[in-house]
Amino acid sequence: MLYREAGDFKTTYVADMQTFPIRGERILFWLFVAFCFAVVPFFITGYWEKSILVPFLVWSMIALGLNILTGYCGQVSLGTGGFMAVGAFACYKLTTAFPELNIVLVIILSGAVTAGVGMLFGLPSLRIKGFYLAVATLAAQFFLVWCFNKFGWFYNYSASGQISMPTRTLFGVAVTGPDAPPWATYLVSLTFVFVFAWVARNLTRGRLGRSWMAMRDMDIAAQIMGISPFNAKLSAFAISSFYVGMGGAMFFAIYLGAAEVTEAFGIDKSFDALFMIIIGGLGSILGSFLGAAFIVVFPVFLKNVMVGGLGWSTDLAAHVEIMTVGALIIFFLIVEPHGLAQIWRLTKEKLRLWPFPY
Amino acid sequence: MNRAVDPRELKVHRDDGVAKGDVLLEVKDVSLRFGGVKAITKISFDVRKGEIRAIIGPNGAGKTSMLNVINGFYTPQEGTITFRGVERRAMRTTDAARQGIARTFQNIALFKGMTTLDNIMTGRITLQKSNLFAQAVWRGPALREELEHRHRVEEIIDFLEIQHIRKVPVGRLPYGLQKRVELGRALAAEPALLLLDEPMAGMNLEEKEDMSRFILDVNSQFGTTIALIEHDMGVVMDISDRVVVLDYGRKIGDGSPEEVSKNQDVIDAYLGVPHE
Ligand SMILES: Nc1ncnc2c1ncn2[C@@H]1O[C@H](COP(=O)(O)OP(=O)(O)OP(=O)(O)O)[C@@H](O)[C@H]1O
Ligand SMILES: [Mg+2]
Repeated sequence: MLYREAGDFKTTYVADMQTFPIRGERILFWLFVAFCFAVVPFFITGYWEKSILVPFLVWSMIALGLNILTGYCGQVSLGTGGFMAVGAFACYKLTTAFPELNIVLVIILSGAVTAGVGMLFGLPSLRIKGFYLAVATLAAQFFLVWCFNKFGWFYNYSASGQISMPTRTLFGVAVTGPDAPPWATYLVSLTFVFVFAWVARNLTRGRLGRSWMAMRDMDIAAQIMGISPFNAKLSAFAISSFYVGMGGAMFFAIYLGAAEVTEAFGIDKSFDALFMIIIGGLGSILGSFLGAAFIVVFPVFLKNVMVGGLGWSTDLAAHVEIMTVGALIIFFLIVEPHGLAQIWRLTKEKLRLWPFPY
Repeated sequence: MNRAVDPRELKVHRDDGVAKGDVLLEVKDVSLRFGGVKAITKISFDVRKGEIRAIIGPNGAGKTSMLNVINGFYTPQEGTITFRGVERRAMRTTDAARQGIARTFQNIALFKGMTTLDNIMTGRITLQKSNLFAQAVWRGPALREELEHRHRVEEIIDFLEIQHIRKVPVGRLPYGLQKRVELGRALAAEPALLLLDEPMAGMNLEEKEDMSRFILDVNSQFGTTIALIEHDMGVVMDISDRVVVLDYGRKIGDGSPEEVSKNQDVIDAYLGVPHE
């Protein structure tokens, strides 16, 4: 009797805590995942890989990372580009020093190195907040980029100052370097993002996630409930940087193939990441994906429609892009701070009630 | 009364090693200044285990400051606090929480972006132990722990009759309900000492009656010791065992509600007799 009751409670709470509580939605989600893993690789072209899918996935990883820090824990960061660079250079150093090391491991270790660096640059957050913290992380951005430029050790003293990714294989298939087939780079990126999005979801719904959100919403009350700002903020910096570092490593190793630090990891990357989470939705896993999709896909779309379709000049298209993104950021900041994810949620609620809105 | 959960099931499992009726908290000669402002001057009083202790006084008397001293948020310039037999002056607020002091705030300090459920779950954060990797996979120990705490939190939700707002972000709730959620969050920590700063401020009569009932139930059913600040004298007379009265940062009365209400200094303070 007792046993059954306990079992009952468990199933109900577990069911209650599901990511997709509605069965239909769950089925759709898994169908979509199956499609991404089992169908897309057969049809993916070089164009789709390089212009849309791989950058989307890599940026999703980075946006997830920044969203943990800014969306969940409320610590603004303008250092994302710098932390991506840490991931990229860690990946380069590791894979050139230990060519035998599995690429998956290299990327994860690059994330770990970035987590350490991120924690270090997160220390000021224990003293300062908001705008001042943003400036401190901006300093991190410039310092890190300067560092990777200044010391030849980081780029193995290459004459061009560039780092370039050698070919690395996984199960005998090249996943980095010029010969990597589109389906392989796509599948590696997809697997990484899928696994770590799931981890992010788990971390944000448990104790750690609640300690971050408590810090974000009311730091004094959080302390009075026994949440140490040191643990909460630094763990957010560490885990966020872990994601951003892995993203940076993937950005360099899988997407770019070769990189020059000021060009690949400049301040514009920090802003891109910030725009993604604002437009997608602060404090939302789904929002990180929607924001990344928007910032990556929208310019491609505009280019195809305006330059390809309407015959406008590329310059004009670029300006229209900047203006639209800018307008949207203002729109979301004022009208819908929870971003596209919230719009998606509301639409779903309407659909569920339709046609009887009671 | 019709409740899903018998509050008696909700035992405080934090054994504070103090017998009922003994001194749980002793405040001794505490003074607190902000620059030139003397918020508290040489105040001493105690809170006994199992009682409801009211702290009253006119606006600016130093009541909130007193609670802030008790839970380590302010460090007094003079005096000592002894909680569960351990004496201290300066401490970190997080340590006060771990020793079993929980509180609510005069101006609600809920986590606005989080749901009712998450807010109350946050109250149990010091009781949760699972490590990063267990949390990352959301299986085994982390999930078991989460469910165990969820179970407790659901009991509190039933007790406070707030099942219907479980999944609502608290920022969207009306004031009275927010106060109730905040009580739930403090209760979730299973505190040895519960500090309530004006739990009924801004409520209508019905809400006040509900809140009084909850406070009395918490005290009698869970055996939680409560120190509360309240302006409504009717409520104070009804629910408190002993009252301490502050005025301009000094203690001017201490005793049972009847004693205090007959105290001439207290009457003067409330009627606004000018200070010489
Ligand atoms: N952080 C602070 N800095 C400076 N002065 C403060 C601070 N906190 C409180 N005070 C002052 O200390 C005195 C006591 O304030 P406190 O908030 O403890 O009063 P209270 O009894 O809670 O009043 P109320 O009934 O209005 O809540 C007031 O004069 C107040 O201005
Ligand atoms: Mg007060």
